Amino acid sequence: MKIQTGKKGLIINLLSLIVFALLWQLLVILARKDSFNIPFIRLRDIPTPVETWIALAGSMFIQIHGPGFTYGIINHVYASLQRVIEGGIIAFIIGVPVGIGVGYSKLLRNLFNPLIEIVRNMPPMAWIPLSIFIFVSGGSIFIVFIGVVFPIILNTVQGVKSTDSRLIDAARTLGASESMIVKKVIIPSAFPSIMTGLRIGLGVGWMAIVAAEMVIRSPVGLGYFIWNMGDLGRYSEMVAGMIVIGVIGYIMNISILLLQRRFIKWGD
Amino acid sequence: MGRLVINSVSKKFNDFLALEDVNFEVEDGEFVCLLGPSGCGKTTVLRLAAGLEEPDDGFLCLDGKKISGVNKECGFVFQEYALFPWRTVKENIEFGPQVKGKTSLECERISKHYIDLVGLSGFENHYPDELSGGMKQRVGIARAYANNPKLLLMDEPFGALDAQTRNLMQSELLRIWEKEHISVLFVTHSVDEAVYLGDKVVIMSARPGKVKEIFDVKLARPRIRTGPEANIIRDRVLKSLVSEIKIASKPGQ
Repeated sequence: MKIQTGKKGLIINLLSLIVFALLWQLLVILARKDSFNIPFIRLRDIPTPVETWIALAGSMFIQIHGPGFTYGIINHVYASLQRVIEGGIIAFIIGVPVGIGVGYSKLLRNLFNPLIEIVRNMPPMAWIPLSIFIFVSGGSIFIVFIGVVFPIILNTVQGVKSTDSRLIDAARTLGASESMIVKKVIIPSAFPSIMTGLRIGLGVGWMAIVAAEMVIRSPVGLGYFIWNMGDLGRYSEMVAGMIVIGVIGYIMNISILLLQRRFIKWGD
Repeated sequence: MGRLVINSVSKKFNDFLALEDVNFEVEDGEFVCLLGPSGCGKTTVLRLAAGLEEPDDGFLCLDGKKISGVNKECGFVFQEYALFPWRTVKENIEFGPQVKGKTSLECERISKHYIDLVGLSGFENHYPDELSGGMKQRVGIARAYANNPKLLLMDEPFGALDAQTRNLMQSELLRIWEKEHISVLFVTHSVDEAVYLGDKVVIMSARPGKVKEIFDVKLARPRIRTGPEANIIRDRVLKSLVSEIKIASKPGQ
């Protein structure tokens, strides 16, 4: 993925957002004035960008006591991020070695492939009911784990398998043992793929956590927040929460890309 | 020391006979060029000498010891360099000493010596991506030398370089070889290169790969590329090779 850089790129990026917000504002206001009407859609009930902005600013930090308003959005962000990071770390610790093993050893590949292929096709959301009754606590972290671990495994396997065989030959003739080859050739060679797996995985994990928080109904978290605001009819806050979810996902993605660029000084 | 003996070696890949009854020697300190049409199994000979492949018949010996498993007493230089892209010049050269358990102080000393030898001082901390083809291959040569091998195996090391760089690298290689006198087995498909570099030129024929003829190149070094004696040898080598290329490029074989 390319990050737009420079002034021109930034202006074009912002332009699309501004045009979208203007259109949104215009459509809702026109609908409220009965200027037009789209069947089956209650356009007039959608909060405008301005209302959303006010709601966002109003519910960001302060704690207004009352149902669902114990925490500011920042607390919900923190809670959700914490779960994603915890689930992500566990997924990384388990996914990378599994990916290396499965990518490197044909026996392990044949052994684990059917299991991985079946389990990875169960969406994280499908695990929610099970995790509700088997986990006393931390069920949502488990949902994140399911979301993150498979992209990490698959990308690690891919990275290991695409290691240039001449580099392995070179290492062999230089006297490297098999374990040295894994440590000093295969892992560094697969590292960019592993990072890509982490990036994609955290994207999936972020979506999964928001969904899980809606169902599991933990008292804090962005998923819980938007669901609760919807229940309470506070649609401006709800939409503000949705936007925060999107923005944070975007920031996570870019952060890992930048991290990758910092650590990988070679290639591309 | 560093005497390679290849004794009636045959190698099959599935049903394809790549090498049949290959015999020749690389004497201690000798520079031998292996020349032949593409697909004649030149690279296979190198891989056998490196222990990256096992012969189906016959054997290879280095200093009287049969080569079985990866031969850790040889250095391999690859055509497309095969440098570790995540390691700097210095770290690439230190790979061998590191995996052999040398201390970082020793590694430092070894890499410094070979960086100086191949003329890469000032580029220690560059990544391979930042180097030209010729410089990459200097790293490849230094990395192979850093392991203190008895035998250097080179697989068309200058094949990807432009003509000028190639000539320069050939002279550089000879300079290094004269300083650190170890045996070299050098695969090429260039007659000029073989006659300029080799003490001996082994011509291989294709399908199956066999040794066709061995030429001794008894020319004083430093050699003059276009000297009359060189031209005579080059002509004989070329004639021997041309008939092979005609056979090898015949369709349907």
